[in-house]
Amino acid sequence: MSEALIIGTPNSGKSLLFNRLTGMNQKVANFPGITVDISYGPMLANPALELVDFPGVYSLHSISEEERIAVRAFKKSLADEHLDYVICILDASRLEKGLHFAMQVLRECQLHGKPMLIAANMIDVLTKHDMHLDTRGLERSLGVPVLPISAKTGQGLRELEQAMDKNQVSQHQHVPVNFKAISDVELRRMAHNLAEDCGPKGDLLIRSQARLDAFFLHTWTGGAAFFLIMYLLFQSIFTWSAPAMDAVGASLAWMAALVLPLITPGVIRDFVKDALFGGIGAFLVFVPQIFVLTMVVGILEDSGYLARAAVICHQPLRIFGLTGKSFIPMLSGVACAIPGIYAARTVDSPYKRWLTYFAIPLMPCSARLPVYTLIIAAFIPAREALGGLVGLQGLAMFMVYFFGMMCGLLVTSLVSRVGPHSQQDMPFVLEMPPYRLPSWKPLLRNSWNRARHFVTKAGAIIFLVTVIIWILGYFPNGGTDLGASWLGRMGKIIEPIFRPLGLDWKYGVALLSSFLAREVFVGTLGTLYGIEGADNDMVPLVDQIQSSGLPVASGVALLIMFAIALQCVSTLAILRKESNSLKLPVQMFIAYAVFSYCAAWIGYQVVQLF
Amino acid sequence: MIKTLWELMQGEKCLVQGFSQALDESYRVRLMELGFHPGEQVTCVQVPRLGAPKLYRVNNTIYSLDDSVATLVDIRVSE
Repeated sequence: MSEALIIGTPNSGKSLLFNRLTGMNQKVANFPGITVDISYGPMLANPALELVDFPGVYSLHSISEEERIAVRAFKKSLADEHLDYVICILDASRLEKGLHFAMQVLRECQLHGKPMLIAANMIDVLTKHDMHLDTRGLERSLGVPVLPISAKTGQGLRELEQAMDKNQVSQHQHVPVNFKAISDVELRRMAHNLAEDCGPKGDLLIRSQARLDAFFLHTWTGGAAFFLIMYLLFQSIFTWSAPAMDAVGASLAWMAALVLPLITPGVIRDFVKDALFGGIGAFLVFVPQIFVLTMVVGILEDSGYLARAAVICHQPLRIFGLTGKSFIPMLSGVACAIPGIYAARTVDSPYKRWLTYFAIPLMPCSARLPVYTLIIAAFIPAREALGGLVGLQGLAMFMVYFFGMMCGLLVTSLVSRVGPHSQQDMPFVLEMPPYRLPSWKPLLRNSWNRARHFVTKAGAIIFLVTVIIWILGYFPNGGTDLGASWLGRMGKIIEPIFRPLGLDWKYGVALLSSFLAREVFVGTLGTLYGIEGADNDMVPLVDQIQSSGLPVASGVALLIMFAIALQCVSTLAILRKESNSLKLPVQMFIAYAVFSYCAAWIGYQVVQLF
Repeated sequence: MIKTLWELMQGEKCLVQGFSQALDESYRVRLMELGFHPGEQVTCVQVPRLGAPKLYRVNNTIYSLDDSVATLVDIRVSE
């Protein structure tokens, strides 16, 4: 199958054009070593031609390892005999920048003997402002076909599709200049002159954009808008996805009710019930949350607000070694680390994204909430303080949430100072895209791809760990007594580790099982204390913990451990996939295990003093 | 008088003069590719409070630069 490669700078409308030409019939893949997607799919008008949507890069002179990999892959593609030609898309409303990039691409195409055509996008914006692009002049100067299009309105797409023929593109290559011999400085000067000669004359910046920036970046109005938008984002993760998450849970319960009676009671039935329906169900419920968050972050990105939010958050987060773009992934991590790690793709600096990965698992996710509720209910009296202004339990909950967030920021602060030097870091130079209405179809497609990625890529790892933990908890006594199982024995073996925190083997087993999902801690502890349904009604378990004589210091130690430890298989699996590295999740797991234990021990000792 | 881009006030225009030696060569090239090349006119369009990155306009594009980069771009304020 022959191929055509689409390349362009970020915000040039490249992906929208790709979606138009392929009719959304596409597959998404990753370059090895980077998190940027590459999409490919057959062209609607000519299914024999496969279009490849290359990641947007500002230049073929890379300034980060991630860009280097992408540019190297582009140059490698040019050497591929299946590649017919290259389509370079540029933003006609910001011609000079686009032309400079197009000339760099043209130089590489010349070097590899590949034809090229230019799609000058956003022609609708020029038409709206009664402005003109001299495409004939550009064609004469560059020697390649230049087609004015609007990926948004569809203007000029028919002509582009007709021009997308290998022979036709090849016949129209009359490049008058040997770009291979031209220096970068000269290339820049040529782009500048050509933009002056052939580009639209006049001010294209829409006044409404300046007015919106004045509003969204103003200290008071911008601050209020920021908090409102972040509140809505938070609501979308917690509330809007809840009905779909409930529906997934109910569907699995319905399927289990249908399937389980057909299986003879025994090990297979228990496996299907607990490991398959229970284990798979525990991670499938996250799918709607990932879908909704990807949609909302996509809307913020497409509308142009994400760049403004990054400007607002940049200065406070920079103190902790992060960037403004780290804020949304971290906020998402307060609901669940998994969508938060996915959202970190919006952090374009690989180094800052790497630091953001460190912070996200320390955000107090919703899975920690049942554990915090149990421990606080067991150890903190339900009294009011400050003249009834605050309840002690509510205050404790706030403090543990705050503690988690501060730990996240302190860790990134420390890692950014003592970790690998930020040689790979990119300076904070952020293009402010124009405000616009999002294109819904690509957003839906992207959200669907992300949810599918979670199920297909992380699902295998999560399922494997689920099966291992199920086997350890089930054998050798057929799941009749968790305390006597291999998992129970492991809990007793590791009891000396938890003894300095005043915790016995039951807590060790509950901590091991919470590796599946943190909230499993409550149910496991209930089972070990002989209380069924503790995850739905905690009161008997709270009474049991209080009567067991567990000291308050141990409760504090448990809270600290849960606030820091990274015992979540789904988070580790996603970190492995997104960072393309096994080293990062393993290092983080060990580092946070040591950190959480040391902090819990200090907390235990301090509380013992009072 | 030569100043740095970071010192430019809201609404002021300037011409880019060059870059500090402290700016890495690859970043210098990138800034020039984005339009901040010597001789180019840049306008400071917005100065958010509390030290947040400022907004600069080059041609028909607006960029946000923080002080770590903007202090390394030498400019001459236009009348």
